[in-house]
This record gives sequence, structure tokens and C-alpha cells, in this order.
Amino acid sequence: MDQLIQHLVNTAILGGTYALLGIGLTLIFGIMNVVNFTHGALYTVGAYLMYLAVAALGLNFFLALPVAILGGLLFGAAIEILLLRPFRGQDIDTTMLVMIGAGIALQSGTLWIFGGVAKAIPSPFPEAPLQIGPVSVSWLRLFVLGAALALIGLAYALINRTKLGLAMRAAFQDADTAALMGVNVRRIYTATFAMGSALAAAAGALLGPVYVVYPQMGGLAELKAFAIVILGGLGNVTGAAIGGFILALAEELGAGYVSSGYRDAMGFLIIIAVLLYKPTGLFAKAERIG
Amino acid sequence: MSRLLPLALLAALVALPLALGPSPYLLNALIVTGILTIGALSLNLLLGFTGQLSLGHIAFFGIGAYVSALTSLGFEVDLGFGYRIVHEPWPAAVGFGLATLAAGACGWLIGRLSFRVRGAYFVIVTISFAEVVRLVALNWVELTQGPLALTGIPAITLGLPGIGTWTLRTKLQNYYLVLAVGTLCWLVVARLVGSRFGRAMRGLKENESLALSVGINATRTLTVAAVISAAMAGAAGSLYAHYLRIIDPDVFAFTTTVSMVIMVVAGGKGTLMGPVVGGLIFGLLPVALRPVMAPEAQWIVYGLVLIVILFVMPRGIVPGLADLVRRRPARPAPVLEPSPVVQR
Amino acid sequence: MTGRFTLTTAILLALAATGARADAIRIGVNEPLTGPFAASGTYVVNGARIAADEINARGGVLGKKIELVVEDNKSNPTEAAAVAEKLITSDKTPVLMGAWGSSLTLAVMPKLADYEVPMLVETSSSGKITTSGNPFVFRISPPSALEAETFAPMVAKLGMKKVDFLVLNNDFGRGAATDFGKMLKDKGVQVGLVEIMDQGAQDMSAQLAKLKASDSDTIMVTSAVDQLVLLFKQMAALGLKKRVITTGGSQNPDQIIAQAGSAADGTMHLTTFLPWIPEKTPDPKATETFIAEWKRRGYEFAGVTESFRGYDGIRAIAHAIERAGKPEPAAIAKAFWSVDFTGLNGPIRFAKSGPAGRESGQSKPDVYLIEIKDGRVVVPTL
Repeated sequence: MDQLIQHLVNTAILGGTYALLGIGLTLIFGIMNVVNFTHGALYTVGAYLMYLAVAALGLNFFLALPVAILGGLLFGAAIEILLLRPFRGQDIDTTMLVMIGAGIALQSGTLWIFGGVAKAIPSPFPEAPLQIGPVSVSWLRLFVLGAALALIGLAYALINRTKLGLAMRAAFQDADTAALMGVNVRRIYTATFAMGSALAAAAGALLGPVYVVYPQMGGLAELKAFAIVILGGLGNVTGAAIGGFILALAEELGAGYVSSGYRDAMGFLIIIAVLLYKPTGLFAKAERIG
Repeated sequence: MSRLLPLALLAALVALPLALGPSPYLLNALIVTGILTIGALSLNLLLGFTGQLSLGHIAFFGIGAYVSALTSLGFEVDLGFGYRIVHEPWPAAVGFGLATLAAGACGWLIGRLSFRVRGAYFVIVTISFAEVVRLVALNWVELTQGPLALTGIPAITLGLPGIGTWTLRTKLQNYYLVLAVGTLCWLVVARLVGSRFGRAMRGLKENESLALSVGINATRTLTVAAVISAAMAGAAGSLYAHYLRIIDPDVFAFTTTVSMVIMVVAGGKGTLMGPVVGGLIFGLLPVALRPVMAPEAQWIVYGLVLIVILFVMPRGIVPGLADLVRRRPARPAPVLEPSPVVQR
Repeated sequence: MTGRFTLTTAILLALAATGARADAIRIGVNEPLTGPFAASGTYVVNGARIAADEINARGGVLGKKIELVVEDNKSNPTEAAAVAEKLITSDKTPVLMGAWGSSLTLAVMPKLADYEVPMLVETSSSGKITTSGNPFVFRISPPSALEAETFAPMVAKLGMKKVDFLVLNNDFGRGAATDFGKMLKDKGVQVGLVEIMDQGAQDMSAQLAKLKASDSDTIMVTSAVDQLVLLFKQMAALGLKKRVITTGGSQNPDQIIAQAGSAADGTMHLTTFLPWIPEKTPDPKATETFIAEWKRRGYEFAGVTESFRGYDGIRAIAHAIERAGKPEPAAIAKAFWSVDFTGLNGPIRFAKSGPAGRESGQSKPDVYLIEIKDGRVVVPTL
């Protein structure tokens, strides 16, 4: 029983960060129809920016976080303007390949600059965990969960409560009509990609201190983000948030009670099952089939 | 592009080892590139001609490699409930056939299960399938040796009992084997695409509702394409296993699928020569870059070359060059243009 | 057209690179410089370079300078085999060193047999490497069975009763669980859970929650340093306070101390090198010289537990070439059997291992148990 409770607590903590990873990707996917293969690289960039801010510049941990997120925002805007804007109107495979190329270059770039040795980011939280009965949670991870939920809330408010968000939703439903109604679609795309990138960088900056920072850290994160996005339904922000928690639960219970070797398989098996049962993801309106 | 080009390229590839002389390293690079190019050819059948991106294509390749290796090595597995399967080693050529069949069967399964969905969902089903298969290969140690790798895989032996056999051990023999299988796969794709079935595939890609209205069975057409594509990938996997003579679960690496996609899209998807040209360029690019720059820089250049090619020729190299040859300026909005006729 | 053009370019470039310098003796080095093992592979190469420079400063081997031809195998078995092919056939190196990970080394081995070129294996731990009948393999790192054997006398002194395993999902990890498990059972110690984690996995809290709930007293962990740092942090976060012993020799305790902080306190590690206490190493003077040179070149101190293997590997190869009298593969392969000198972690002398007639060489390095206490490495008194 104690073990089960610990697993559930772990799920909540892990799920928050998975959700954060998924939301950034689903936004870009849904609004721009771009399969963003730089998502993992931007996650890595966020973590390294955090490392630079804390370890090299000596910034306060809580100040470094917004710096890293802002860095991710600018990085994303640059990628969109330099690499995606010229390819607008090309089919989804071409832009996906451009993103793959950019992802490879970014990842190798971080390896070149920082070397392969993993870096640790010191955190201001106490090492001793918070102990509630049989369950232990680290303070840092609690903070990460809180920050992730706050960022998810912020993104949600931005999409649903602001003019920019209204324009984004309009572009999501029909870019051409939105353009006719006076929405500057080019700018909306840049804003969307920048925002998605900032969320990826935020996930990296938050998880960097929990884990360690190294050039290949984005690969697995990216694959999981894809899984989460599909679980939740393309372009569905709420769905991606819930999908993140479902994936975390599947992995946690799979490793705890089935076999730890199949931990990562659990998530993917669930995805196959979900897609067979409800092909458009758990929370999406039916997409055109055929 | 003229009909002569594929023939010229084939002739060049046949003659190449004579020109290269005894350079096993380059021959090795060509063999591995050739095997990946067969994978790219098979991927192109799905991605290029039906528009369905299989981002888990490596699963079929890896299944082919494992089936072939296990057939020729033999294995003993306990299924539980007192059932045991003991398999004595069979010749590698049989493994090649079984690998093709098994991968094709997996293609059928995935096709049946997932062609109820399209586009991005199909992409994720295939990725998930590949990950699950990789994890099975990693964890079912009794069958696959897991991460300990299957070693000592025999080289392929051709010939018939009684007439005499011929074991392909040298690089040169393997080169021509890969070239022969590759040419065969290319011909299969070419025939298929030119047939009624090929028109059905392209019809589905261009306008599914229209295709359905003229009586094309979408799921069946797509599933058949998936079976053929998966079988070819399985054949490539089998060649890989018997050439390298060792395989481990790393054959399921996601990055290999990415390499194949790069070959297809940069070369020109939906064209017959695209995967071949893309395969040769992106298969040999790392070989060419190796002596001239630091390892990390090689990959940066690899990524940038990819982006530059897409900037200059968004539809890929082969269609891009075809446009150049016809002295037609690139059209302003390629998206709106009707799909190009198959380029031969 | 384009295809052929690129091909020609590739060939020209490759040939240009082959313009061999005939005056030097070339040693091929096949290591992961990009990909997941990039950090470790780079350390090994840096260690190898120190050895080469040192040997050349003393006048080289057989009156010639030695030259390392370093190639990146991208942490990928296919690449590792291709690189071996390139080093042997196009760079004409008569002897190789490589290839860090066991799957990388296993992929290279058929090439060694094909071309009859010997390779010194510096890091890999899979038992298969020296038992599969490849007479061109000479290994200086301990396979996990040898490591377990050396650890056996300490089991009773540590008072171990029941042990769980948490290991990497590859031959390195699974091999350790099998070999240590066998040794422990022989010693009358119970073996409980064997938990697996994927290479590159960052969150092991599910496995740790399970281990926390088990009734064992010790957890034996096999993984590389980056994952160990994560594990210790997550153990602390879960309040898991059992004895932890790591195996495998890729722990870099200094990096653990720097990155896991107090979470690493009390953890024990089986290592093959004692750079913290040079006076306790088999050749204190050589250890000090090596560490001083390492620091002078501005490398991170944490890397020495990895790089000393590259250093010893090249030294062993130089000894073999010297004894062979000529830089030719067959002569060097034969000469490896008579190599005998004191490396940084014990005598380097190859004993026969594997099927008769086709034995591989295996050297038996020292294995030490160290403990991290208050952010420092100490040798526990047992």
C-alpha cells in the first residue's frame, strides 16, 4: 500500500513536467501544422541556458528561470522566422524535415559548445525530502510541479483570455479566413512557435536541476512529448495536459508492478490501445478521416 | 528525366568497385548505404506514393534482421505452461525469405490496425510500434539475447543442394548482392506504381473522397502498400544482419528511420529515383565529411546540408533537377500544383 | 548525376586522407566521440594522447614516433565496425584500441578476425568479449565475473544478507547482475529484486519506490556516472537509505560528489583506479605523473577514472610493438602475450581466456572498494 501511494505521488510530480512538454508541442502542431522536431533540442537549450545563468553568471535560481524561458522564446522566434517562414505553404513532410535538420544541428551544436560531460545545476532547496507518513517528496520536485502547473495555467489563460489567444484560435480553425478577417497570420505563427519553444525551454530549465544536463537529454523527452500529444488529441491543450499525467501513471505503475524493463513500453502500448479504441486521441473532436 | 538515367546509374554502380579498386572501407560504406537505400525505397512506397508517413519504419527493418538472424542461428525458448520451442539453425537464405515474410506480415497487421486513422496518427502508431518492438528485443533475453547482441550470424549462402553452394563472405560479393536486391526492389516499386494499383494509391493520396467514389477500396489499397513496403524493409534488415554478422536492439534506433526519411524527402518523395539519389548522398555524406572536420561539426553540417537542399529544391533533388533540365523556372506555389507525374 | 558526383567527391576526400605518413607507427583508436557515450570516449582518447606524447618524448617505439589515428564510432555498433574497417584497410594501422562499450567492441570483433589485426580493449566489461574465441582481442578492463570474484572476500566483512540489483538494460548492467548474483548466492547471500533501467532514462523513481519497499539491506547498482548522479539524488528524494554499492568502473566518483552532493554520502563504489590516493596504487610515480599531466592540460579531474584506461591501453600497445620488433599485425598479436609491465591499476599481463586454440587475452587489474564520506573519497576499513 505504501508503495502504491509513493507511486501515485511520483505520478503527480512526473506528470506535471510531461504535461508541460506536451503542451508546447501540441500548440505548434495544432496551429501551424508543423511536426516540431526541434522540441527536444529546445528543451535541451532551456536546460543549458539555466545552467549558464546559474553556474556561469551566478544568477539567483528563481531569477535564472525566467531568463532561460525568455531565451527559449527568442530562440523559437528566430527558428520560426529563419527556417519556417520561407517554407510556409510547403507540405508537412518538408517542414518536418527542415525541423529534423535544425534539430540535428542544434543538438550537435550544444555538444560542440558544452562537451558531452553532464552538468549539474545547483538548487536552493534542501536535500532532505518532505516526509508525510510513508511517502517522501523532494522539495525541488514539489517546486517543479508547482511551477509547471503555473506555466500551464498561464498558457491556458493566454490562449483563452487574450486577443493574441483569440487570433491563435482563429488561425487554428482556418488560417485563410482568419487572414481575411485581418489577423496577421505570419505574426501569429511566430508568436505560437515562440510560445511553444518557451514552454519546451521551461520544461528543460525546470527539469535540468532535478536531473542532469547533457546534449542528448532532448531525444527521449521529444519522443514522450509526441506520445502525450497524440494521447490528448492534436492541438488540444487540455488533452495534452491530461495525456501527460496518463503517460506518467502508465510508466509508474508499469515499472512498479509489471516489469521495469518495459517501463517505457507501457506508454506506447497505451497509445496504441487508445488509438485503436478512439483513433483521434482521448480528448479531440473527430478529425477528418479519409 | 529520361528512362536512361536509372540504367546509367545502375551501370555506374555495377562498374564502381572496379574503379574503386581494393578499398574495403569505401565498399563497406557503399554496402551499408545500399542497405539503407533499400529501406528508403520501401519507405518511399508508403510516404511518397500513398502519403502515409511510417516513422516506425525501422521496426520492419529490425524485425527482418532478427527473424533472419534467429532462423540461421537457431534458438530455444520457453513459452511457459510447459511449452518449449526449439529451433535448429536453417540456411541464411531461408532466413532472408522468412524475414521478408515476417516483416510483410507485421506490415499487414499495422495496416489493418492503423489505417482507420491517417496522417499524424498513423505516424504515432508506427513510432509506438517500433518502440514496443525495440523494447521486446531488449527485454526478451531468452530469445534475442537482449542487449548481449546476437553474434556469429552466418553469411548468406546462395545455391541449391546438389548443384553447389556459394557463400557470400567478401565485401565485393555482398556489394553485388545488395545491388541486386536493391535493383529488384526498385523494379517492383516501378512496376507497382505504373500499374492500376499504383493509380489507386496516388488517387488516394491526391483526393481520398474522389478515389472512394470511383470504387477504390482505401483500407485494402493502403494495407497492400504497407505489406509490400514492410517486406522490402525486412529484406533490407536481413541483408544488414548477414552482412554485419552481429545485431543488437540498437538496430531499432529511431535515428535510422530519420535517416531513411531524409533520404526519401530530400531525394524527392513520390519519384522513383528520389530515394536512390537521396540515399547515395546522405548515406555517403558522413563518409565524405569524416576526414575533413571534427565529429560534432560533421553532424552540424549534415543538418545544414539537409536544410539547404530543401531551401533550394523544396520538393527534393530529383524533381528539382528535373525542373532545371526542362529549363522551367520553379513555379511560385508548388502546393497548388497537381501532383507531378511519376518521374522515371 | 548528383549521386555520382557526390560519390566521386567522397572517394577523393577519403583518398586524400589516406596519404599515409610512412615514418610513424600508426595506432588506430576507435572510440565514441559523439552520441550518448561521447563524454567517456573523449576522456579515453585524451588519456591515450597523453600516453602517446609521453612515449614520443622518450624517443618513440622502435626508433619511430607513434601516431594515433582517432576515429569517432558515434556510440553506434554499425559505425564502430565501419570505423575498424577504415582504420585497418585505409589507414593501415597494424593495431587498434577500442571501442569503449561492449556492444561497440562486439561489433568490431568480426572485423579483427577477418583482417587478423589485434585490438586492445580498454573499457568493455561483457564476458562474451573474451570467451567467444577471438584470438585478436586483448582486454585490460575487468569483465564483471572477474570484478565479482575480486569483491567476494569483502561480502562477509560488509555483513550483507540480502541484495537487490538495479542495473542498466544492456550487457554491462545485466552481465553484472548475473555475475554478482551468482557470486553472492555462492557466499550464502540472498538475491532479491533485479530491477532494470534503460540507458538514458532520467527518472528511476518507480524502480526506486519498489526497491524502497523491499526487505534487502544492500542495493548493487551498475550504470555510468550520469545516471548514478540521478539515482543518488532520487534515492535521497525518496528517503531510501540502504547501503548502495556500484560496480562497473565507470563511476567517476568526483563527478558524483560534485553533482549529487550530500545525496552521494555513504555510497560505496567498486573502482579499478585510485587517483585520490596515488600512494596506494601499484605504480605511485606513474599515477602522479599521469594525473599531473592530465591537470596541466586543463582536463576535468573527474575524467581520470575513465582516461587512465586509454593511457594504459596505449602503453600496453607500445610494449607489444616494441616486443614484436616490427609494426605488423601478426607480430604484434603474438607479442601481446609477452607484454608484462605495471599499469596504473595493477600488472598488465594477458592470460588465456576462451575456447582452446583461439584464446583471447585477459589482464587482471586490481579492484578497489571506495566510499564517499562527507564529500571525499575514502577507502573503508573492513
